[in-house]
Amino acid sequence: MNNESDKKIVPGQQKGKPTHDQADIVIIGNGIAGLTAAVEARRLAPEKRIVIVTDQIHPTINTPALKQFAIAKLTREQLLAYPAGTERAERIHVVSSRVTEIHAQSKYVTLSNKRGFGYESLLIATGSTPQGLPENIPGRNFDGVLTLHRLQDYLDLRRRLGEVNEAIVIGGGVHAIETVMGLLYWGIRTHWLIRGKTFMGRVLDDPASEIVLNNVRRAGAIVHLETEVAGIIGRVGAVAGAITNQQEMIPCQIVLSCTGTRAATSLARSCTVPMMHKNGIMVDDKLRTSVRGIYAAGDVAALKNPQTGNYEPRAQWYAAVAQGRIAGSMMVGHSELAMQPFGVPWHATHLGELSMLTVGEPISSDPRLTTLTDTSQGGYRRMSILEDRLVGYLSLGSSQPDSLAIKRLIDEAVSIKDVTRSLLKGQFDSRSYLSNQRSHAARNMLLLNQPAAPLKREEATPTRKLPNTGELRQVAAQSQTNYVAASHPNHQLNEPQTDQLAPMAVMPFDIDEINPFSGNLPDVSFSGLDGTGLYSQGKFMQPRPGPATPPPMQPQPRSGLINGRTEQKATPNKKEASYKLWAYVNAEPEDNTGRRQNIHEGERY
Amino acid sequence: MLRMLKPNAIILHKTRPQVGQEIQACIGCNECILACPAVAEPITIDMLNRETLSGSISAPIARFARACYQCGACVAPCPVGLHRDAMMLWLKVRLLSMGAEE
Repeated sequence: MNNESDKKIVPGQQKGKPTHDQADIVIIGNGIAGLTAAVEARRLAPEKRIVIVTDQIHPTINTPALKQFAIAKLTREQLLAYPAGTERAERIHVVSSRVTEIHAQSKYVTLSNKRGFGYESLLIATGSTPQGLPENIPGRNFDGVLTLHRLQDYLDLRRRLGEVNEAIVIGGGVHAIETVMGLLYWGIRTHWLIRGKTFMGRVLDDPASEIVLNNVRRAGAIVHLETEVAGIIGRVGAVAGAITNQQEMIPCQIVLSCTGTRAATSLARSCTVPMMHKNGIMVDDKLRTSVRGIYAAGDVAALKNPQTGNYEPRAQWYAAVAQGRIAGSMMVGHSELAMQPFGVPWHATHLGELSMLTVGEPISSDPRLTTLTDTSQGGYRRMSILEDRLVGYLSLGSSQPDSLAIKRLIDEAVSIKDVTRSLLKGQFDSRSYLSNQRSHAARNMLLLNQPAAPLKREEATPTRKLPNTGELRQVAAQSQTNYVAASHPNHQLNEPQTDQLAPMAVMPFDIDEINPFSGNLPDVSFSGLDGTGLYSQGKFMQPRPGPATPPPMQPQPRSGLINGRTEQKATPNKKEASYKLWAYVNAEPEDNTGRRQNIHEGERY
Repeated sequence: MLRMLKPNAIILHKTRPQVGQEIQACIGCNECILACPAVAEPITIDMLNRETLSGSISAPIARFARACYQCGACVAPCPVGLHRDAMMLWLKVRLLSMGAEE
């Protein structure tokens, strides 16, 4: 499978003499973001030379599944994120080394063995490092004090479990609670030390935190709130217990630190051209850093949160995969595939019997937001609503709602006027709701022969029943009136706007959604409607407000699409300002060139 | 003209982009396969995900896809709320379309 040019990339190491190799795409780090980017780049560019530089001792693994690994539900082999041998099959070369410096002007990196490695485009996917226990805690070096982060840490934990009867878990986040549940699974008496008054104070409100903590207490954990470790006691080198700041001594054989991670930004500091970084390496929607030709993805990249406007890393699996794909297509020059915005943060997990889901900003204290809570069915749900759009959603309960669809409701700023109640009760059937919205949008488009209004303005008839002919006729009649209403003079007021957008007319729904499986099956030929052939995948290119935004932020134009374009005409200065960080980036957004090629995206799956 | 579209169609399936999104969000915890009553031979989640998305479908995965009878037992255990049944249906569609090509 390898051809001659591939073999030339990584020659044997020459001692002493610095050499300079060259590859088109160099990726630092073989986490999921790095490997996904490499695979995606290979798919789009079969001839490019792709090299991953990593000092990780194992292939890419499903890091979120490490918690299942900790309770022996998985074997090591099952952790692999891609089938073994993917790198070889995809002709991705893995260099086992560490990058020490980036020379951005001359476009090469220095490896730890003093070798230089040239690149065309570089992806920094170095992930994050655990914060661990504070440096000044006495006894932090005793055997049995572990910071759980990498595979090695979990292997270490698995080896020790046999001789552990009591354990301490430190940390107030999801990682900590998952670790606690894992230890309880092994029947270990577990003390959980949380610094704050509640669990995950920034994501969960007090009642939600109480539900989670009670759930953990019922499962057998001993929760210590507002408690930190003051020191660790050892006996002949191994942990024997810990002393808390409440002057309490807890005997234990293992101390696990799950206190969060920090983006590994050391490469940003050792780059010869200053690279903007704060909590992580700051990137734009297309994952470009402030240095030309260098991208960042995964835990290390800090993206703008569309709701708050802050740059913050998203240390999450899904975000890393999505960013890897986009970085991969960007690095081979397919910027049109990078149109998909990342949207709002999203986290879903199981905590024993309890399912937890947070999307967006459920506990924002913004006065404009309406907050609804519900405690029926033993669960807890909280929604933040701005006007008729969802801003945040929090759900705790025995079943997991369709989490990605709820994220989509927020990302696409769909009106939830008609489904507020079912969302609140946790009985929301998002599949049929979104699909209904699409089919209504499609019908209007076909009937009016013009771009459909944004989804949120669509009238969603509440449809949960199976269709029968009588009902069909009813709906048909209804939509006829809709049609009449739509051509009412009122509608004409909107004409200029529609005109402006007309050249960009795209299907208001994915072409893929016209299929017999989603039920959106029109048996008409589309060719008569719009000769431009713009039935691209489109990703809903019609104007649509961004995710609902609490002040002081304006609704953000999402990834400089149509919103960005109209704004550009109105306020050119503002547009420029928002892109100052990436001044080297061509100011003209790639809208026009990109859209038509989007059709390629359909071939992905 | 109004009968062209089924306004209240029964929804069986997630669309292709949605399935792609779900696979991206899969954390590989294996819970769905542990819950599956139809799986008869060792299937790893990485193979399943990769072959659901694209590329050739290997024999064990193809057998598994044919054996899947959409009972939905895989949905409840998913810690991140994904729909493996929709992904499996998509895999079945791919299997059929590939069979047609050959």
